[in-house]
Amino acid sequence: MGKISLRKAGKQYGTVEIIRDLDLEIADGEFVVIVGPSGCGKSTLLRMIAGLEATTAGQIVIDGRDVTEALPVERKLAMVFQSYALYPHMTVRQNMGFGLKLAKLSSGAIKTKVDAAADTLKLTPLLDRYPKELSGGQRQRVAIGRAIVREPVGFLFDEPLSNLDAALRVDMRLEIAKLHRTLGTTMIYVTHDQVEAMTLADRIVVLKDGRVMQQGTPYELYEKPANLFVAQFIGSPKMNILACKRNGDGQLDLSGQGFLEMPLRSDAVPVQLGARPEHLSLVAPENGHCRGTVEAREYLGGTTSVFVRNPELGLINVSAPAETGFGIGETVGIHIDNVRLSLFDAAGAAVISSR
Amino acid sequence: MINALRWLVFAIAAFAMNFPILVTLVTSFKSTRELSTNPGLWVQAPTLDNYLAVFQVSDRLNIFLYLFNSITVAFIGTTLAVVLALPAAYAIARGRLGERTLLPFIVNLRAVPLIIFAIPLYMMFQWLALLDTRLGLGLILSIVNLPLALVILVNAIRDLPGELDEAALMDGASRTQILLRVIAPVCRPAIVTSLIFGFITAWNEFLFGLMLTTSKAVPITVGASFFFAASGGGVQWGVASAVMVVGALPPVLLGLIMYRQISGSMTAGAVKG
Amino acid sequence: MNAQRAHSSEFRLLAMPLVLFLLVFLGFPAIVNLIYSVSDVSFETLRQPKITGLSNFAAVWNDRAFWQASWFSLRFGALTALLECALGLILAIFLSPLIERRSWLMAILMLPLMVAPALVGLMYRLVLHEFAGPVPYYLWAWFGTSVSFLGPTSAFWTLIVVETLQWTPFALLLFYMAYRAIPTEIVEASAMDGARRWHLLWYIELPLMAPTIVVALLIRFIDGFRVFDNVYVLTGSGPGGSTASLSIYIYEAFFKQGAIGKAVAASVILFAVSFAVLYGLNFIASRRKGALT
Repeated sequence: MGKISLRKAGKQYGTVEIIRDLDLEIADGEFVVIVGPSGCGKSTLLRMIAGLEATTAGQIVIDGRDVTEALPVERKLAMVFQSYALYPHMTVRQNMGFGLKLAKLSSGAIKTKVDAAADTLKLTPLLDRYPKELSGGQRQRVAIGRAIVREPVGFLFDEPLSNLDAALRVDMRLEIAKLHRTLGTTMIYVTHDQVEAMTLADRIVVLKDGRVMQQGTPYELYEKPANLFVAQFIGSPKMNILACKRNGDGQLDLSGQGFLEMPLRSDAVPVQLGARPEHLSLVAPENGHCRGTVEAREYLGGTTSVFVRNPELGLINVSAPAETGFGIGETVGIHIDNVRLSLFDAAGAAVISSR
Repeated sequence: MINALRWLVFAIAAFAMNFPILVTLVTSFKSTRELSTNPGLWVQAPTLDNYLAVFQVSDRLNIFLYLFNSITVAFIGTTLAVVLALPAAYAIARGRLGERTLLPFIVNLRAVPLIIFAIPLYMMFQWLALLDTRLGLGLILSIVNLPLALVILVNAIRDLPGELDEAALMDGASRTQILLRVIAPVCRPAIVTSLIFGFITAWNEFLFGLMLTTSKAVPITVGASFFFAASGGGVQWGVASAVMVVGALPPVLLGLIMYRQISGSMTAGAVKG
Repeated sequence: MNAQRAHSSEFRLLAMPLVLFLLVFLGFPAIVNLIYSVSDVSFETLRQPKITGLSNFAAVWNDRAFWQASWFSLRFGALTALLECALGLILAIFLSPLIERRSWLMAILMLPLMVAPALVGLMYRLVLHEFAGPVPYYLWAWFGTSVSFLGPTSAFWTLIVVETLQWTPFALLLFYMAYRAIPTEIVEASAMDGARRWHLLWYIELPLMAPTIVVALLIRFIDGFRVFDNVYVLTGSGPGGSTASLSIYIYEAFFKQGAIGKAVAASVILFAVSFAVLYGLNFIASRRKGALT
């Protein structure tokens, strides 16, 4: 079991509210990733669930039991820290067995469990080493192993990959995904890296200033962002945001730079249009929805990012084929795929098109 | 050229600052006869007679007792200070307890003239029958050692990542268990440094030894001065030098072996405190 | 049970032994100090102090020796702190290239710090002795004259030199550490900006070392101000009380004159002034910390 619920949970330091009225239901076995910019309270939220930070309002319930006031160990959760936080004076075996030893398990039982976990994580040859004798990736695996041996109802990961180099990060990401498939245990994973979020999550929770901006599958967040913040936070390169206005003909007026056919509900008042670079394409100047001058090109191998300057709409990033012929200084037209764009009202909330 | 000048300056500085030690060392190897004719910086006929004389126990002078007293009080004064300071340092560094009260108070203690406490402690010890006891002197020396031990340990614990404690909390450890099983072993270098530093400080302490002991618990710093008034006539400089060499040797040796740690902690105590 | 509250009570428990120890061995003496300072008390009437008001303080206030000792302590502390820090700073920067490569040189320079100040004082009794001491011996041999180092005119300066020579290594060590801690990138950047050696020292290195210099001056002043051991064994308080520091003044009032009330009143004054100054400095330091870092 590993059903974790937050009910109107809040965290206040003095007069500063870090987390506010936060509701979150996490199903048993679910992989939930919490993302957000630094300072959004995502780590605090994780530490509240862990019991390392006091929850000052609301409730945290695990498997039907109110654990708001419980000690960390009573919550039966395990945590993997950003710095790994391995005990430097203990061997890998002692590191992994420390919690079991504190729980007064027999040394035989500890050995069995540690050996099993070490086997899963391919740590067996390293069991008698000290943390300082391990590479970053190995330390990371020991930190995960320490979490596994306690057979927790849920795992908490606090930016576990941010201390690794890029290549290792990809490997560990795959390994964590595999671990989740094998164990089937609830996992809550905090990161600022949206690639990690997109690849690992069953469900992503986007946090900003201690509030949930949107939660949903990676697909939902990418294709149907609920607001401007999520739209810009998810996706790399970032979504282009263009000022627009609804005119009398039911068309979208791109600040006088062009028009877009867009069937809209009668009460919708969009003021901004969001289009991802891959939903834009470069065409001859006379064919596009709007036009501009190529200001810069970034060759990325698979594609080329072309930055087009429009006097009213600003700089627009268009993902073009790698071998695109448009050069700097050239005037180009931009075609907008009106099926996959997003519209936002003055408050930044998504406006639903009638499609 | 400039390097030669540097060496010259170093030589002069080292000579001047170590001059009394050098003179004492040289004098301790001079015979009584040579002393009256040659006060210079060399020895014509080195002898160990002075050292033999120093280790001669008489009813007035007993260097073994003084050395034993110094070792004992330094041991009590050092271990007690660390035993008291370590849990408090943990509470200060991690529980943020007394960061603005206890810590500055104890750090300031290091800068206060110790004589202030000497008189009431003298009277208190009289009531408690702790005057002229090794335990009594050791207790006071632990107060002398507390400030630096606390600063060194608080800094050492603050330098550890807080996630280490949190990992242990997740593993189900209580704060006391964390202190004993995680923090103390990880902070061993800092603990060793405060022990060494405390030992040197306690060994070299003079004021409390002078005030609170008279015969049974006299430490070597006070005992050494007894040798200056040993015989009715003038001071026997050879014997007096030998006793000073013996009295200075333990902290000097300890200091030379451990000078890296000591220099580090001196700066820690001074700058971060 | 509230987890956080459980932790804070456990922390309190961990700090408890130290707090209790301090209460017994400092709190109790402090109370005794306060009571005795306003009492008429002698070694015979230790347990029955008679409250007499502020007469002890008046006695201290009107005692010329107290003011003489205060003046000695202030001058001694200030002069030795300045000398030690000036010498230490020059040596640290000038010798740094040597010490960087051979750290054992620092061990030699640090040696005096390991020796008990009381023993160093006693050593100087030998060094300066008119018949057995090498300094008068060589002065006679080379210049045909010598100085009465512990006589009325020179005793003060002799003590200054004794203290300075023993504790300059402390300042040297602090400054050496601070000097080495200057990031090489900053030095290189200033070299790229065309700074000469003197510019570097004056505009970059000394300002960066300034906090350490202040701290070293302060520590050395405090230690000089409360000096006891080496002065006591070298000159006692003589000649004629001219080298009595405040510590020695209190010690002698208590042990030699048996004037407990006066000694205690002087301690209370010293205690109050010390803590007021120290807390003042702490306050300034915490206010300035933000500006410096």
